[in-house]
Amino acid sequence: MNKLRLIIAREYMSIVGRKSFIFLTLGMPLLFILIMAVPIGLAYLNDKGSDTQQIAVIDETGRYAAALKSDDMYNFVAIKGDTVTNAREFYDKANGSLDAIIIIPRDVDSTGMVDIFSEEAITPALVSNVRSVLADTIETAHLTAMGIPNIQEMVEQAHVDVDVRSIKWSEAGDEQESSTDAAMGLGLMLSILTYMFVLMYGAMIMNSVIEEKTNRIVEVVVSSCRPFQLMLGKIIGVGLVGLTQMLIWIVLLVIVAMVAGSAFGIGQVSPDAVSPESLRMAKDAGAMEMIMRETLSINYTPIIVGFILYFIGGYLLYSSLFAGLGSAVDQPSDSSQFMTPVMLIMIVAFYAGMACMENPSGPTAVWCSIIPFTSPVVMMIRLPFGVPFWQLALSLGLLFGTALAITWLAARIYRRGILHYGKKASFGDLFKWMS
Amino acid sequence: MAYLDIDNVVKRYEGHTALAGVSMQVEQGCIYGLLGPNGAGKSTLIRIINRILAADEGTVTLNGKRMTDDDITHIGYLPEERGLYKKMKVGDHIVYLGRLKGMTKADAVASMHWWIDRFNLKEWENKKVEELSKGMQQKVQFIGTVIHRPPLLIFDEPFSGFDPVNAEQLKVEILALRDQGSTILFSTHNMASVEEVCQQITLLNHAQVVLTGSVEQVKQRHKKNIIAVQTPDTIVPNDNLFTLLPPDPVKKSETRIKLAQGVQVRDAINWLNEHYHLTGFAEVLPSMNEIFIETVKSQKIENNE
Repeated sequence: MNKLRLIIAREYMSIVGRKSFIFLTLGMPLLFILIMAVPIGLAYLNDKGSDTQQIAVIDETGRYAAALKSDDMYNFVAIKGDTVTNAREFYDKANGSLDAIIIIPRDVDSTGMVDIFSEEAITPALVSNVRSVLADTIETAHLTAMGIPNIQEMVEQAHVDVDVRSIKWSEAGDEQESSTDAAMGLGLMLSILTYMFVLMYGAMIMNSVIEEKTNRIVEVVVSSCRPFQLMLGKIIGVGLVGLTQMLIWIVLLVIVAMVAGSAFGIGQVSPDAVSPESLRMAKDAGAMEMIMRETLSINYTPIIVGFILYFIGGYLLYSSLFAGLGSAVDQPSDSSQFMTPVMLIMIVAFYAGMACMENPSGPTAVWCSIIPFTSPVVMMIRLPFGVPFWQLALSLGLLFGTALAITWLAARIYRRGILHYGKKASFGDLFKWMS
Repeated sequence: MAYLDIDNVVKRYEGHTALAGVSMQVEQGCIYGLLGPNGAGKSTLIRIINRILAADEGTVTLNGKRMTDDDITHIGYLPEERGLYKKMKVGDHIVYLGRLKGMTKADAVASMHWWIDRFNLKEWENKKVEELSKGMQQKVQFIGTVIHRPPLLIFDEPFSGFDPVNAEQLKVEILALRDQGSTILFSTHNMASVEEVCQQITLLNHAQVVLTGSVEQVKQRHKKNIIAVQTPDTIVPNDNLFTLLPPDPVKKSETRIKLAQGVQVRDAINWLNEHYHLTGFAEVLPSMNEIFIETVKSQKIENNE
């Protein structure tokens, strides 16, 4: 046990101590932040940098221009008395001091059409601003015109948003509110996480095995410990590296979320933010609330326990496969002949997972979530929707049974492979080594 | 009872036999040469002793007890195909190898300091292995082999990769380890080094022991009854006692004679002394190199028949 701990510690330190690990671990989130922040930042700079636009409003009805409120970006100037025919003339007369002209025609109440003229491209932001403000104002005007007292309140009271709750009966007959969107998102996330982890760190193990072989250190080491200890030490060591990396990323994510949350929180409180835009955001916030409620309604305990079990099982299965195959190779460039079949299985697993999102209880989903090589990815998609206990038990039993069997076989290949130099090993050789 | 007793060890691979019943006894405190051409089974035997491979038949006994996996802490092994973790620091690397052999951290660190001092590597302790020259890396490798002071040391081609100066230092260290009581199993092709350091040898060929014994015995057994005689006179052959051999191309001043069957050295020398003016004579023993080549070649002929 002591030796195993030594091997794990060396393997762990040899990767974590590398500069490339530090760069990758800190660089990945930075890259993500950059990818997301750069467009937002650029858009912000774009808005900030441009001058306030001067927009003339020609309101033929004379009733609605006042609804358009000026702000930092747009300065609305109501022009009275002019008609459509001389809009161009008016624009030219302004001699470039105007950016756009809005014309609210006399028959706007019946047609609902408003025109914006400009020599430059009209921004979608301006269009949507004008649209929402005028729609609300005209609607209110219509309601008022009906002459029914308190109509405004009545309409508001009558307004209904329809939410569809999906409720699942458990076998005991309890009702459980389940939520497809949030469940799907969560399942997908966990599935991709498992997939990425196994792929990234499986390849890392393979490289580490090949490196020891090309270094010729391996015979020195296995004269001090059993080959199985070396292999297991590697698998655990690299697994811990992966967990460390994930932990760092989670911590960074939480920090970023907190910083971002507090920044946006302050923005919402400021009074000048009460614009039609923020009103719409408030509506979105309602949707957010619904997602939040759905997210909270998922029963997390089985998902988290399942995730941990499938994660460990899947990692053990694939990493020992990678270790065994890596031992049969002298140089990293030769590894592709063994890598390809493993990668194919993994890709199949991933597509099976995607396919199962549509119908998590369909036959493909059920079978793929029971077959050990695909189950770690596919079951993660199914878990949030609820999976019968017998399927879970069968799937986990098969996964761990297969993982242990593969580890045992990989150890047999590894024992022979690490001392095999020269002639490239074939799949036939691997089978011979297993026996 | 020999310190390391290998009894009738058999190892088969798919399609061929690597060891066909090899036995060998290594006494405590001696340097034992394990010789043989490529593919004779030396590496397989060494790996079995190191418990890297398992024997199909036969036993390996260390110090009177059948070997188990725990006994590998008593062995220091320098394989022919050797290397180090290039990115590790020299000191850390040596300590890691020591601890893998069961040393405590404190012991390993102390021993590491003692050895790197001895090999003048002190200033390299915190450098990465890849920054060292090849010769220095070999020294680090050697320290990693002996750091835990094992009673049994196994060196497979230890001198390959060393320049003559460092090879000499290594030889001195190996002899010193023997004098401190270590038993050393030494596998090599380098017959000159065998004659210099080994007391006992075993020659493997085609998975079998073909020759075994002390270096002296083996030489005596393989001697051809040749005597190198130094004399200013020209010797004429005497068919009853000896025939003349062509002179040694290097030592032209010597006359080489081969004794006839059953003739004692002293009879021939007495006769020569009566008839010629002898200034010196010496029995010519075959070198290990010659014995090696001769034995392996004669086996090849046997096999072909």
